[in-house]
Amino acid sequence: MVSAAVMLSVIGALAWLLWLARDIGERIATTRWVGGVALALVPVWLWLVAYYAPIEAAQGIIQKIFYVHIPAIIPTYFGFFLSALGGALYLRTRDDRWDQLAVAGAEVGVVFCSLMLVVGPIWAKPAWGHWWVWDLRLTTTLMLWFIYVAYLFLRSFAFGSDTAKTFTAVYGIAGIAAIPFVYFAVDLAQGSTMHPSNPTREGLPPEMGRAVGVGMINFIWIFAWLVAKRLELAALHAHALVASRARSA
Amino acid sequence: MPWVIAAYAVTGIALVGYALQLRAARRAALRDLQRRS
Repeated sequence: MVSAAVMLSVIGALAWLLWLARDIGERIATTRWVGGVALALVPVWLWLVAYYAPIEAAQGIIQKIFYVHIPAIIPTYFGFFLSALGGALYLRTRDDRWDQLAVAGAEVGVVFCSLMLVVGPIWAKPAWGHWWVWDLRLTTTLMLWFIYVAYLFLRSFAFGSDTAKTFTAVYGIAGIAAIPFVYFAVDLAQGSTMHPSNPTREGLPPEMGRAVGVGMINFIWIFAWLVAKRLELAALHAHALVASRARSA
Repeated sequence: MPWVIAAYAVTGIALVGYALQLRAARRAALRDLQRRS
């Protein structure tokens, strides 16, 4: 039931963001509702983490870090997928609204990927005795982060140029090819990795699964809200650029 | 316990910080747009 709710949240957030991107000016008011839902879920998720999910026998209290590390994965992949989808739609239609969606997805995806890369070592230090190891999962995740940080650099260096939009659209589409390597890194390493395998296949106890699931749903809607806010900002910048070109013409 | 608090604090600070940065950038963009029009 929780995994179905997570799936529905992903589909719902994707549908809402695509609908919103088509006319951000008229539809931005709906962002309040999404922000409200995301904010209301935070205390529920924290309660589940603190009181409902049991303390894991082997790791003790530090296992609670998983409830913030694992949910950050979905917004990371979701953001980079949005970047590729927005890029593909931009290449097809040459409509700037899809380019704005691609940039928003990449930027918010990088925020969540950074969180994952910071929170993971906070768990690894007490669990492994090291902040970082050059394990296949950690290394591929860091590479994924670099790919999309480079995307954002490319955009910031060539603001408003159609060539930059086309180039980054292609780059964003190519970038998601790295995601399967990250996701299957533990399987690809064939036992030579320190990182735990994907929790869905390991099977968590029901209470832990619910805490992770609610965390995922919460992060998906926080992600969607942040993407909407970033889209609004991109639309304002585009208006400013048009106004500036009109004045100088 | 300090590790757990650190992980949740980092998450909260990062997400709230990013949201506040977006809000400040939005206000600056609106001011810029008003100045140009």
